[in-house]
Amino acid sequence: MNKYFRELTVAAALLLLMLGLAIFAPHFFQIQPLISRLTSQMPALILAIGVALVIISRQIDISIGAQFSMCAIIAGVTAGAGLPLGVAIFAALGAGALMGALNGVLVAWLGLPSIVVTLATMVTWQEALRLWQQGRLLPLPAGVQWFGLSQAGGQAVVISLTFILLIGAAWALKNLSAGRFIYATGTDAEAARLAGIDPKRTTFGVFVLMGILAGLAAVFNMVQSPQVQPNAGDGLDLKAIAAAVVGGVAISGGRGTLWGVLLGMLLLANVNPALTHFHQPPYWEKAIQGLVILLAVVADGLRSRKNRL
Amino acid sequence: MSKSTAFKSLLARHEAVLVLVILVEVVLFQTLGRNFLIGRNISNVFRHSVEIGLLAVAMTPVILTGGIDLSVGSMMGLCAVLFGMMVNSLGMDPWVAGLAAIAFGALGGGVNAVLITRLNLPPLIVTLGTFSLFRGLAEALTKGAESYSGFSPSFLALGNADIAGLPAQIWVFFTVAAGIWVLVHHTTFGRSFRAIGFSPEGARYAGIPVARNTSLAYIIAGAVAGLAAVILVARLGEARANAGIGYELLAITAVVLGGVSIFGGSGTVGGTLLGWVALAFLNNGLTRISDYRIMDQPVASVARELSGLLTGLLLLAALAIGASTKTLAVRRARKQSLSKPTSTPATS
Repeated sequence: MNKYFRELTVAAALLLLMLGLAIFAPHFFQIQPLISRLTSQMPALILAIGVALVIISRQIDISIGAQFSMCAIIAGVTAGAGLPLGVAIFAALGAGALMGALNGVLVAWLGLPSIVVTLATMVTWQEALRLWQQGRLLPLPAGVQWFGLSQAGGQAVVISLTFILLIGAAWALKNLSAGRFIYATGTDAEAARLAGIDPKRTTFGVFVLMGILAGLAAVFNMVQSPQVQPNAGDGLDLKAIAAAVVGGVAISGGRGTLWGVLLGMLLLANVNPALTHFHQPPYWEKAIQGLVILLAVVADGLRSRKNRL
Repeated sequence: MSKSTAFKSLLARHEAVLVLVILVEVVLFQTLGRNFLIGRNISNVFRHSVEIGLLAVAMTPVILTGGIDLSVGSMMGLCAVLFGMMVNSLGMDPWVAGLAAIAFGALGGGVNAVLITRLNLPPLIVTLGTFSLFRGLAEALTKGAESYSGFSPSFLALGNADIAGLPAQIWVFFTVAAGIWVLVHHTTFGRSFRAIGFSPEGARYAGIPVARNTSLAYIIAGAVAGLAAVILVARLGEARANAGIGYELLAITAVVLGGVSIFGGSGTVGGTLLGWVALAFLNNGLTRISDYRIMDQPVASVARELSGLLTGLLLLAALAIGASTKTLAVRRARKQSLSKPTSTPATS
């Protein structure tokens, strides 16, 4: 019970928000817009899953928004060159893996703090992209949107694949040795090393996985519109980190579940639509998000203080 | 003792390399570009980068303690908006409002400080939260669109006039930089920043009030961000919620380029200043190059993107070099401490 305290609190907050919406703004639950909103949140959820793994291993990655934008443009350019969609998807995932690997090498083997490394790679990818695309919208060829399926079909593919990924990752994190390595590395890298785990390889692997997930998120975002925006990933890094932290992933590493991340993402993602449906001005969104992050870390701090005493 | 001098010479070497980088920039931009090395342009360079310079020198103590402050750019946005409201809506005198904006900055820094030092929360995530919160408040206060302008000419002079041949705001910058330099390098209080960054536990056992001194570093950073906001508003003549977006990155880049260890514990204010000058020259120099083309565009027209990209790469290079010299220094120190097991670890 106590172990899942955070997940339960967030679930209760989410339930309360839903209840409020059900009473005061029942329009919120019209099925078609609800599915569209859910689909549009799937890329951010994938990023949040990745960054949760990074945070559990006691690192951080703030370059994921820039990675996401870069992968989206690379996929868009590949598809625009007339290559099949499969190749474009592969290019996005590959580019993500490479960008993740660069972070991984600098953090795991040079021992540099991940916050500064990913700050530097974030600026680098962002500006390289601006130099390359000059802010142009990249139109996509026919047959890319919704993977060439109907809208409902495409939405079903995006949602179901994301949830399969979430369930698979949650299972692997709990039951596979690779998953336990991530918790062990994040709890105490030195102890993990003494237990025969290679914390450097684990950290490197987590960053590469993060990059691949950023590529996947970019693809799932790309198929939702007829063009690619070169700044599609702006602010997504913060959103993903916020979802993970609110969902109970401890920033000090070694603790957290992907179910918490899902709840955190749903809660944060509903701030904006809820503001709209309650007829409140939307420009409070960022302030509320910041406040929610701070509340979550303060709750963490108070709890660990209580446990210490 | 020998380790301490070895470390000092390492830092001195870093600063020498930076001076060299700056010289290379000057020669390069003077030969490839137009009108780089003329008085008017150089004074322009400094006029336009005073805000980032202020953030960078104030970020130095924070990073010396082993912390980081991602919220300073957002703090500028919030302070700019508060300043604009105080002057336009409350009819306050701009100079009084400016002082109030600095006080608001200190207050925001105090929020960071309390969460970080009293609740023992990681600076990274706290300031990531306030990064979002401060910018969000600025946007909410201006309803996402409003801006404030129409300030009195005597106030706008702070951003646009010259005093004794130099941009007016550069004198403010000199004062602040000198103050922080004295604090960090010539007071017991300021030396504790490096001790804390080197080893918080060790500093505590040495009788240093770690929480109080660390708090002050964040409060200074907040107050200086408020000052930077006022200067930015005076230069642009307009206060908007988007003031200072991305400035935290540039400030951190200047500090790290300047050889301040991101792990805390070592670095100098002088290094930060050199890192800042190198960045400022890079930013301006590229806009002077109109005869050469990159990706079918004159360099000058993509100068912003190009200098951003180069800044990122420079930061990566500085980090990698810093990490490898640190590894070398540690290895050397270990070798020496094997031969002289009684020596104590040296700060800076």
